[in-house]
Amino acid sequence: MRRKRIKYFFLFPSIFWVLAFTIFPLVYSLSLTFFRVRLGKPARFVGLANFARILSDYKMWHSLRITLVYVAVTVTLQVILGLLIALLFHQEMRGKSLFRALLILPIFCTPVAVGYLGLTVFYEEGGPINSILMSLFGTKIPWLSNPFWAWMAILLLDIWQWTPFCFLVILAGLQSLPEEIYDAAYLDSSSEWEIFRKITFPMVQPVIVIVLLLRLIESFKIFDVVYSLTGGGPGTSTEVYSLFTYRTGLKFFDFGYASVLGYLLLAMVSVAVNIFFRRIREVYG
Amino acid sequence: MGVVRRRSKVALVFRYVLVGIILFWALFMIYWGVVTSLKPPAETFTVTGLSVPFVQFRPTLENWRTELSVRESRMALLNSVIVAIFATLIAMALGVPAGYALARFKFRRIRNRDLTIWYLSQRVLPPVVVVIPFFLIMRTLRLLDTRLALILVNATFTLPFAVVITRQAFQELPVELEEAAAVDGCSEFTAFWKIALPLAAPTIVAVVAICVAFTWNEFLFALSLTSLRAKTFPVYLAGAEDTRGVQFWFMATRAILALGLPVVLAVAIQKYIVRGLTFGAVKG
Repeated sequence: MRRKRIKYFFLFPSIFWVLAFTIFPLVYSLSLTFFRVRLGKPARFVGLANFARILSDYKMWHSLRITLVYVAVTVTLQVILGLLIALLFHQEMRGKSLFRALLILPIFCTPVAVGYLGLTVFYEEGGPINSILMSLFGTKIPWLSNPFWAWMAILLLDIWQWTPFCFLVILAGLQSLPEEIYDAAYLDSSSEWEIFRKITFPMVQPVIVIVLLLRLIESFKIFDVVYSLTGGGPGTSTEVYSLFTYRTGLKFFDFGYASVLGYLLLAMVSVAVNIFFRRIREVYG
Repeated sequence: MGVVRRRSKVALVFRYVLVGIILFWALFMIYWGVVTSLKPPAETFTVTGLSVPFVQFRPTLENWRTELSVRESRMALLNSVIVAIFATLIAMALGVPAGYALARFKFRRIRNRDLTIWYLSQRVLPPVVVVIPFFLIMRTLRLLDTRLALILVNATFTLPFAVVITRQAFQELPVELEEAAAVDGCSEFTAFWKIALPLAAPTIVAVVAICVAFTWNEFLFALSLTSLRAKTFPVYLAGAEDTRGVQFWFMATRAILALGLPVVLAVAIQKYIVRGLTFGAVKG
């Protein structure tokens, strides 16, 4: 580690950039929360009125509730499925690297495009899933016209896209474990389950925590897939928090209230991330 | 002995069957999109089951030709390409030196670790929190519906990738080469530009790919800040439904056009995906 003036020359441009493009908008947004701002009309100071509106806004509570349920369900399922698939792949297998390369394709898919592909796959009259269900069981599922099944469709797409990510990272974690421990464990003739519970899981747990954290952060942002697959419908049954905030701000141009909604989301994500803060500091120490 | 061997053979078959099911699940959506885009429109709903091309229907590139002949469509693709290139250039120009500084120099007032986490916190921020101030700022600056607005926003949100991932790559390079260069009278900047940067080239290529893919996929800001001329491809895709009803052949063609580039990039940098998407927290 050297100490030279030039280090500021390297670092400062990016710091100024972040201050200008993140911190300034955040401060601006904070000031908006105290105003009633509508397009084309002068802003009016309303104190904490925008915050008070949250309490009685049942639509907001609905969005918040379904978003929290969505985050909890998808993150849990993705991490569990990712772990299981990683364990399956953490064995000798021919063609493993090819299979792994194929499995990671969903991760980088444009989420909006995934939503529209979902529209063709979940199509109720003659879409592939329903036509298979029709020929096997003689029944079909009202994927996008029924609130419950619309949710299932969103969850399935999200799990489809992000389980491979959890799988990939957990597999990398598994592969970095030293082999010797296993040799000793097998000599002790412990059962597979016991080896997993007592050795593998505790050792790969730090990696699982990272995956959990990253998925948690990203899940709160959900917008694209819902926008393209259901548009928040039927009715407002799948109108997740980001979509609700977006519409409040940029469809109804209620900028002040939308800023309050944004800050509420930021507060929740920050609380969720803070639970992991010790671990984050360890990683980047 | 025989019993054990037979059981393991069954287990082996079972393993491959499981892997097969998982792969089918992972690839089906993409397969379906490609197949639908190759079907003649009239057969979109009449061909059933898995719709195997050549067996169940004769594939045609008609949808692709039609789609690419639409001016609006080509314009949206061009916008996406331009925004992705310039946003990535800015993110790299700002982020790589910062990553180098965090890896090689010691900062006292705010520690290196805390600076790194500060950059990372950018990715924690849900975009919808700042979409309204961005909209109002861009309106004031008369930048609504311009590519420049999207370039600025996307550079901001891909910057953490550039900083944090290259920081780790530089940390892993031996410092001796740069020290030797300094002894030879090389300036700090030359040591960075001529020695460290080329050595970190593979990681830098991977970060470029990640920044391009994330900018390409970005939707919320593109939707909010553009209306006509600067529409990126995802926004154009999202408009498809309103204008054309359930014309799945176009929808599938556009969806595959949209996700083609990032998927190819993902394959190209697959060795770096774990490290890249976990910001170096897990080494893949």
